[in-house]
Amino acid sequence: MNRLRLNNILMALVIALAFIWLFIPFVMAVLWSLVDPSQPWTADKLLPPAMSFYRWVNMWQNSSLQPALLTSYTLAPSAAILSLLLAFPTSFALGRIAFPGREVAKTLCLLPLVVPPFITAVFFTALLYRLGLTAWRPGAIIFAHAVVFLPFSIRILTVSFETVRQDHIDAARDLGAGHWARFKAAYLPALRPGIYASLLIVFIQSIEEFAIAFIVGSPDVVTIPVLLYSALGQDYVRPNAAVLSLILVIPNVFLMLFLERLLKSANPTLASGKG
Amino acid sequence: MTARQWITVTLLLMPGLGLIVWLIGTVVYIAFAQSFGLYNINGESALTTAYWADLLGNNIYLRSVRYSTYIGVMSAIFSVVLAYPLAIWLRKPFTGSMTIGSILKAPLLVHGLVAAFLFVNVISYHGILNQFMQWIGIWDGPHRLQNDNNAIAVLILQTWKNMPFALLLLTGALQGISDDVLDAARDLGAGSWARFRKIIAPLTVSGMQAAIVIIFIGAVSDFAFQVIAGPINRQSLAQLMVGYKGRGDWNSAAVVGATMIIVALFGSAILAGLSKIVMRGRLK
Repeated sequence: MNRLRLNNILMALVIALAFIWLFIPFVMAVLWSLVDPSQPWTADKLLPPAMSFYRWVNMWQNSSLQPALLTSYTLAPSAAILSLLLAFPTSFALGRIAFPGREVAKTLCLLPLVVPPFITAVFFTALLYRLGLTAWRPGAIIFAHAVVFLPFSIRILTVSFETVRQDHIDAARDLGAGHWARFKAAYLPALRPGIYASLLIVFIQSIEEFAIAFIVGSPDVVTIPVLLYSALGQDYVRPNAAVLSLILVIPNVFLMLFLERLLKSANPTLASGKG
Repeated sequence: MTARQWITVTLLLMPGLGLIVWLIGTVVYIAFAQSFGLYNINGESALTTAYWADLLGNNIYLRSVRYSTYIGVMSAIFSVVLAYPLAIWLRKPFTGSMTIGSILKAPLLVHGLVAAFLFVNVISYHGILNQFMQWIGIWDGPHRLQNDNNAIAVLILQTWKNMPFALLLLTGALQGISDDVLDAARDLGAGSWARFRKIIAPLTVSGMQAAIVIIFIGAVSDFAFQVIAGPINRQSLAQLMVGYKGRGDWNSAAVVGATMIIVALFGSAILAGLSKIVMRGRLK
């Protein structure tokens, strides 16, 4: 059997498997979200007997979906901006200054990724209780998200800072540019894709984050994942859970695809205008 | 470097790296301190090993340590074992390999809770899997598949979610091997197995260790999959910890939390070491 034929057989196999492990589950979720309550979807029927957008409308009007969306989509951009601001100085040091121990510092930046999220959530709450800072939970979540997702923004921005060309900075300085003008002319063009990518990735991570939002925010702050969690547990109504799942997953798929394009454009040639 | 430069670097690192080390350090410190009765939220703090002694004699705790370790090890092994051949297959681009790669990596974009819902939906009592098995005549009636005692549902979910991640890291490691090295080996008479064992395996060890460690830590500390799809008669460490915390028993929660950190740390060191031995085919 030649290599080409083997490849084609393997490809057919993967696509068939993907049909089972991706396509069918999502079609089921879409169908469940469209079940009209007038006629239940019983096991003997292949498709729901009556389909409508009733569940979507109902969830929109009569559940905590609207406030949860508002909460999630307020917390996430705040965490993204805070994380970017906190990452900026560190990334500058890691990307542009050669100091002993730089590799150790880079590795230490990954710490939040290896500590289990529920540990961070539970004992960060303990810290808040001890400090008497439990009053403003959204603020606590924004802070925790910004720090926990710092590894992403630091990593992305460090790479961006590394791509800034020293001759651009020198040229700007030779032409008499001050600090701000040098930053705008030499740094910013190279940093821009990294800044967008960092904002976007922390935004997506924060929208999806469950442990901290659930533990630190309970019971006042309800984000989309927290709402979905309760819809899967104590208030399990399958069509409602289907609606929430789709609301959580669809925007993020598009944002991730956008992020991938952004990260692809973040190469030095494009960022500095020459190779 | 001069003292002045050191001060500049330190100041620059403070808001980013400084906050990370402070937050994670504090969190881990509180977990260990509270497990020994220190840094209490309610009541007096006093150094004691009573909470550890209490839980170490508690069957629910011991069972959940074993259970979480089992989930962590199995999830890491399944994900890497499935991802490895796929990564080798996708090493050299061919027509359609990009599409295949994207399809395989799609679960990375799906939230864990959503994945759990999708899966539970498929395996539920009147779900599509039960219907299908009855339709083709293998099963007479619907089987109860959700919350199975061996946590197969949790392992399938973990693998579903983590295999793409392992694939991502392994593809990166494999694509870093240059064709020249493999061609040279072939010219010297190395067959596929020898090329795999002597070149590909040793050169991808670090990528594989990274995948195993990160998947293991994530699966050991799993909460959502366990609560939604896991067995009812045992609890994962995270579930147990959240339960204690919910009842206001911070010290027991801290013992479980500290245990989780210890298991994650030692478990990943052991797994990383073992995978190195296996991939190099020798002890040193």
